[in-house]
Amino acid sequence: MSAPELVTVTVDGRAVQVPHGTGLVETGLAAGVEIPVFCYEPRLGPPVGACRMCLVEIEGMPKLQAGCTLVAQDGMVVSTAATSKKAAEGQNATLEFILVNHPLDCPVCDKGGECPLQDLTFRYGPGNTRMTFPKRTFDKPIPISPTIALDRERCILCYRCTRFSETVSGDGQLVASNRGAQSLITTFEDEPYRAPFSGNVIELCPVGALTSTQYRFEARPWEIQNVPTVCALCPVGCNISATTREGKVKRIISRNHPEVDEGWLCDKGRFAFSHLRAPDRITEPLRRVRRRGFAPVPWDEALDEAERLLREAGDHIVTALSGSETIEGAYGLARLLRGLGAHTAILPEETSDALDAYRLPLSAIRAAELVVVLGDEPVSERAPVLDLWLRAARRAGAEVVTCGPAGSTLAAPGAAAQVCLDLAAPGNELGERLRAAARAILVWSGPGGQGGAQLAALAGALGFAGREGCGAFYVPAAPNARGVAEAWSAASDDEGSTPDPIKLLVVSGDEAASNPHVRALAERAESVLAVTMFQGLAVGWADLVLPGTSYLERDGTTMNLEGRVQRLRRTVTPPAPDELAWLSQLAGRFGIELSPHPAVLFAELSPRLFGGLPFGEVGERASLRPRSAPAAEHRLEPPALRRPGDGHRLQLLRYRPLFSGAAVERVPELQFQRPAREVELSADDAERRRIGPGDEVTVRSNGTSATLRARIDRRLAPGVVRIADEHAGDLHQLVEVLKR
Amino acid sequence: MQRSLYEEIRAVAVQYPDERSAVLPALRLAQERYGWLPPAAFREVADALDVTPAYCQSVASFYDMFHLVPVGRRLVEVCTNICCGLEGAQGVLEALESELGVRVGETSDDGEFTLRAVECLGGCGSPTIVAIDNRYREGVRADDVPALVTELRGG
Amino acid sequence: MADEIVLAGAEGRDLTKLSEFRAGGGYAALAKARGLEPAAVIEELVASNLRGRGGAGFPMGRKAGFIPKPGTNPNPTYLAVNADESEPGTFKDREIMRRVPHRLIEGCLITAHAIVSRHVFIYIRGEYLEEFEILRAALDEARGAELLGGVTVVLHRGAGAYICGEETALLESLEGQRGQPRSKPPFPAVSGLYASPTLINNVETIASVPAIVERGGAWFATIGAGPASTGTRVFCLSGNVVRGGNYELPMGATIRELVYDHGGGIADGRELKAIIPGGSSFPVLTPDQIDTPLDFDSVAEAGSALGSGVVIAIDDRCCMVQLGLRVAQFYMHESCGKCTPCREGTRWMVALLDKIEDGRATHGELDLLLDVCDRILGKCLCPLGDAAAMPVASYVDSFRDEFREHVDAGSCPFGGSSSLDRLLAPVDQHSLHPTVEVPA
Repeated sequence: MSAPELVTVTVDGRAVQVPHGTGLVETGLAAGVEIPVFCYEPRLGPPVGACRMCLVEIEGMPKLQAGCTLVAQDGMVVSTAATSKKAAEGQNATLEFILVNHPLDCPVCDKGGECPLQDLTFRYGPGNTRMTFPKRTFDKPIPISPTIALDRERCILCYRCTRFSETVSGDGQLVASNRGAQSLITTFEDEPYRAPFSGNVIELCPVGALTSTQYRFEARPWEIQNVPTVCALCPVGCNISATTREGKVKRIISRNHPEVDEGWLCDKGRFAFSHLRAPDRITEPLRRVRRRGFAPVPWDEALDEAERLLREAGDHIVTALSGSETIEGAYGLARLLRGLGAHTAILPEETSDALDAYRLPLSAIRAAELVVVLGDEPVSERAPVLDLWLRAARRAGAEVVTCGPAGSTLAAPGAAAQVCLDLAAPGNELGERLRAAARAILVWSGPGGQGGAQLAALAGALGFAGREGCGAFYVPAAPNARGVAEAWSAASDDEGSTPDPIKLLVVSGDEAASNPHVRALAERAESVLAVTMFQGLAVGWADLVLPGTSYLERDGTTMNLEGRVQRLRRTVTPPAPDELAWLSQLAGRFGIELSPHPAVLFAELSPRLFGGLPFGEVGERASLRPRSAPAAEHRLEPPALRRPGDGHRLQLLRYRPLFSGAAVERVPELQFQRPAREVELSADDAERRRIGPGDEVTVRSNGTSATLRARIDRRLAPGVVRIADEHAGDLHQLVEVLKR
Repeated sequence: MQRSLYEEIRAVAVQYPDERSAVLPALRLAQERYGWLPPAAFREVADALDVTPAYCQSVASFYDMFHLVPVGRRLVEVCTNICCGLEGAQGVLEALESELGVRVGETSDDGEFTLRAVECLGGCGSPTIVAIDNRYREGVRADDVPALVTELRGG
Repeated sequence: MADEIVLAGAEGRDLTKLSEFRAGGGYAALAKARGLEPAAVIEELVASNLRGRGGAGFPMGRKAGFIPKPGTNPNPTYLAVNADESEPGTFKDREIMRRVPHRLIEGCLITAHAIVSRHVFIYIRGEYLEEFEILRAALDEARGAELLGGVTVVLHRGAGAYICGEETALLESLEGQRGQPRSKPPFPAVSGLYASPTLINNVETIASVPAIVERGGAWFATIGAGPASTGTRVFCLSGNVVRGGNYELPMGATIRELVYDHGGGIADGRELKAIIPGGSSFPVLTPDQIDTPLDFDSVAEAGSALGSGVVIAIDDRCCMVQLGLRVAQFYMHESCGKCTPCREGTRWMVALLDKIEDGRATHGELDLLLDVCDRILGKCLCPLGDAAAMPVASYVDSFRDEFREHVDAGSCPFGGSSSLDRLLAPVDQHSLHPTVEVPA
């Protein structure tokens, strides 16, 4: 790639060289000069020049110009408010006009202290007001959702939020209404702003018009600490800061990793933190007591009991992992259990390192020319921020082809493997284009796929190796599936055999405890030891329950779907000891030396897994390790067969919605985002059964049924219905749908 | 057989290189059916053009000719911009208020007439312009109003 | 009327009918243009120095020349016709569409040929229902007679927003959005409708094209007031005159000629007090400027602008403060709300003018009004802000004593007898009873 042409621009008398095409605001920054802005936000698309805050004087142009709408040209001479009286006057005027109707809310406004309007008024604005008329008023604040409050009086109509809703997240729910001085921001009717990315408008808003209801009146910027960490609720691993006050997490904000999340967060990662203080959080070990249920026991007794269970079970132990443990946590567990000969572990899904040969940062998706997305589960449910990258790619002109039950190219459920075979076959039109493109990306989102091995085989067949703009992503269901799997394997080189009978089942984490397969396994096991955060999960069928911690309370590392190793930091002290603390003690009782410090454990793992990367270098904005050479050639496997529908019966596609899981269930403000009791039908299937949108229907399979509301999805393939996992109960793969 | 609103909108949408352009004609078609634009209208238009109801409402609320509250069966609009204003528009407006029995900006109790003051209608050479359901009466003077109203009432 | 170009032949004949229009030579220019290279047509337009008749006055030939030649841009080119005539005082495009719709269609097709476009959009303001019907019928006739030559002509109705007359706002509205203007650059010739090269021209401008092709650009340039102001204009005369109406005259006719020779002078024996040229967006002129020729340079030298060819004659019954208020109310109502100075500034202007008219203002607030106007001027995203600030500031400047009298007297000196007294503006309806409810 050739170096961009440099141009010389003079800003307030300082000459600076920037690549041709750099925006003027960035050019100013390069020269160390501030050009103040409100509406300018490059992530939202081309600049609009609406707020008029960035007015500057350009030599040769008679009128003041909106700096944000201009790009650097060679020889441009720019004067900002610092050196141009006219520009200073213009910026002062903009602020005066904004303040004309802006309420004097600073003392009660959450934005105070981190408010661009305050800061810019201080720097460029008038010191007092000349406005003597009553300011326009609105009822305020109004909750536009349980998580976001809107204060229309404070709104300066910079349109950042509406542009986000329209363009970036594409939900189109937050809009401007009316015209001129009557303009206001609103949702449709009184419906809440219900979309997975709604919370980003809180960070985008340059004033206190859009604020977090969770954070309302909770803290002031000078009494908080922002602890840098990474969200571990999905396999993207967005970089976040946890704002803490007096030892409690008060909010989550983005820390902007330009390659991973670009400053966006999904609402789950943003608002679910209050699960830390859920009323049913387990803070002490609980032991089953016959006839009395469960009783809390002190830690010594708990560890004694754990030791007893482990000794009695010998090597007949199976470990059920969640895939949300840290790498160090999983490793610690593995060193203990595998040290005892218990090598069998189950994970929610297969993992593979095959895609390491085609590694790219998520941001590469935006730069792509052609993106092909396969798989049965929408990316927006599994890895929401990846969906934003796909949308950004479309906006940038990329062609994004989705092959799935609701895709631009329809494919039956379970057909992703077949699609891979088809694309690799010579003469396939899309396959040819993938071979020819300089920047092509493949994405597999959904079950199957062997942890990415299938996709790697396809990438290999398409000649992606050696083409640095081409890469592939496999989207797992668990946040750290691969990290956990590799940490488990690294603990020992021995193989084991699946124990029969299972004398002890170790359940690690809430996701494992909620998994019906694990539950079924627990029925067969003689005893169960569970590590969970909440009462409702394993308490009841485990024999010993040890309190678990949350990702916000752990120090350690995780590996995201890019293969990037990222650092979690403890943001608050957990109410019970960290897992590594008691694991280390427990291991000691068996003569196994296990350090309780993540740094030490990482150092043990690093030579084998991470090329010797030192723990301290994982870094605030972790880098992606370079691609590895393609391993042994992976073969494209023929697909597993799925029973097709038979005209009357339809294929049921279950999916795990984004807003599900133990943490989300315990956040009252997020309940409105939980999936409605709905079944999604194609327009054809609905019409044939005379089902209209919103009709109550019965969905039936052998022996079970569910009553749900119908939703018509015009994009869904005929013959397929979709139901969120939590509403699908025990329904089988083939179902009948009848109008009630 | 009368086409559904969905079908009518689809027929218009295909005339444009980008279907979103059909939002304005689609809203107009919906308004003709409903008499105004209730929330249901926005849902229908949104469905037909694959946009959100919020988007449709946002667009409609920008333009003066879309009514987001119920209006009378007949819309009577008087231009009160400067040219008509200089030649007696206020008198025409007040005469209409009196004859129609309705205050400006409101709808008569029988739901028959909505009376509004509007900006320049483009008939400045023959003031005052009164638009009845978007058809212009030119050169209207205050004393023309009684006869005009009689005519509107079907007399 | 003699020497008419745009409205030529319409007297006494129904040129809305294709047969009549053809009988008078209509569509001959189109046939001729189609026999010429597109570049040759543009040459004629350049030679004519036909300048935009919508208000901006940009040379049309030069604008058409900005459109990329075929093969240099992957996107199709579009022609958009601005029939959103909404500038107070302007009513010429309405008459053109009513009486000579085929001439407009012919102009569209010639221009489309010149820029090698196969897609024409006519954006007609929503209120012009009858003109829309007439145009639609004419278009059907033209289509039926196979005159379109493979060009798609879409008649797109607006829905009531003055700002959609601004070219980029028109494009936004045509794309199905709220009609808010865009920043320029990029200019429509590069990225206009659907991010494709687009030429946008006013109805009267397009309707002037057939004659230019038929008789040559050089011929057109011999008419009018010299090289900077060629051809005829359809002047819109209104206000307190005997015979308001559209008068097509060569550029350079004076205000006096228009008002007195054609318009019959001031009605009811009143005195001329003020003249608004160009439309409500432009500074006012005083009676001593009555001999100003109506061409681009002369009106500009006089301190105002030719705009859309408007002349509003105002007599001595008009209170200039009330005029300022009514004009400010218009811009407040029509402001799109995108940029801060216009959105907040027009509302502040109205509040101040209301206070002045009511006699409750101080002299300091007169200065404040001028300062607010100054703070809007040159700082907005589009010309609407200037269009509010410039005229109002000119009323204060040219009629300062009248404004001062309001302050000193503590009331309007006209005492209720002025022509604009109690005039109800649409924005007043908002406060009486909102037509769009703000959700609680």
